[in-house]
Amino acid sequence: MNLRRLFGRQPKSSSVARERLRLVISQDRFDVDEESMRRLQAELMQVLSKHFDFHVDEVRMSLKQRGNSYVLTADFPNVNANKQA
Amino acid sequence: MGKVIVVTSGKGGVGKTTSTANLGTALALIGKTVVVIDADVGLRNLDVVMGLESRIVYTSMDVIENRCELSRALVKDKRVEGLMLLAASQKNNKDDIQPEQMKAICTELRATHDFVLVDSPAGIESGFRNAAAGAEEALVITTPDVSAIRDADRITGLLQHEGVEPINLVLNRLSPEMVRKGNMVSQSDVVGLLNLKLIGVVPEDREVIASTNRGIPLVHNKNSPGAQAYMRIAKRLTGQRIPIPELREKGFFSNILDWFSGNK
Repeated sequence: MNLRRLFGRQPKSSSVARERLRLVISQDRFDVDEESMRRLQAELMQVLSKHFDFHVDEVRMSLKQRGNSYVLTADFPNVNANKQA
Repeated sequence: MGKVIVVTSGKGGVGKTTSTANLGTALALIGKTVVVIDADVGLRNLDVVMGLESRIVYTSMDVIENRCELSRALVKDKRVEGLMLLAASQKNNKDDIQPEQMKAICTELRATHDFVLVDSPAGIESGFRNAAAGAEEALVITTPDVSAIRDADRITGLLQHEGVEPINLVLNRLSPEMVRKGNMVSQSDVVGLLNLKLIGVVPEDREVIASTNRGIPLVHNKNSPGAQAYMRIAKRLTGQRIPIPELREKGFFSNILDWFSGNK
């Protein structure tokens, strides 16, 4: 494989197709719409705001594929201890 | 009580109508009673592929709107005993039929026939939903290209949601030569990606075009590899256990035989 790259040979189009399909099919199957992602983010922020202060507009959520599964990441930068907590 | 099977794919042009015509004919050739239904309202084509376009008097729309009895709307095939076509209306569109109406037609037909094959229109909208409404089983047709495979997976999800089971996969237009050269995904790639039960592989066969030109389904041309593939799928649909080998290229010797018989 690496040798082929070295000599400028491209990978076979069938293996490119296979990899692209694997990705696009698993994305299609996962099917999370933006609206439910927004609701989830709002609920998470509500829970976290009981314990921390944070800037609402800095919160980021993302869904990324890793192999055959998905990783959901929620980023709350600059959190401070909530004074009421 | 017969089986109602929807033939579908999501993407257009992968061979739904060709497969419906050939599997319907193949099932009738092995002695089953079959009705093929064209569910592509407004864009009917099953009639021309089967060579029956000049015999259509009534369509499913006439049945739904009580202008004619269902049994009178069925067009007898020219060549095979036990094969009937229910044509789609060309003057209406897909929203003029409701899923319940389609379901009623399928229910009535399965009581008196061994197989009811419903040729679905492309797409995932109302036309597909109508076609699938009366079906208990599905045949998902795909070709070995990226967009057809992706759409096959989408349509499979929708069929599963509707409770259609089993869903069998037909891989159409496979070229073993292109697979060997690494320019086409293989049979096992497609099965692995879609995670469906494969019921047959139809090789790329240029005879399909000639057979459509003539309005004579390919299965009547018994020597063609495509015809043999469809015959095997029909037998599997009746419950016969016929293994599905990975398609191979023709050997040197059979290529020479083809050359002498003018079957290039």
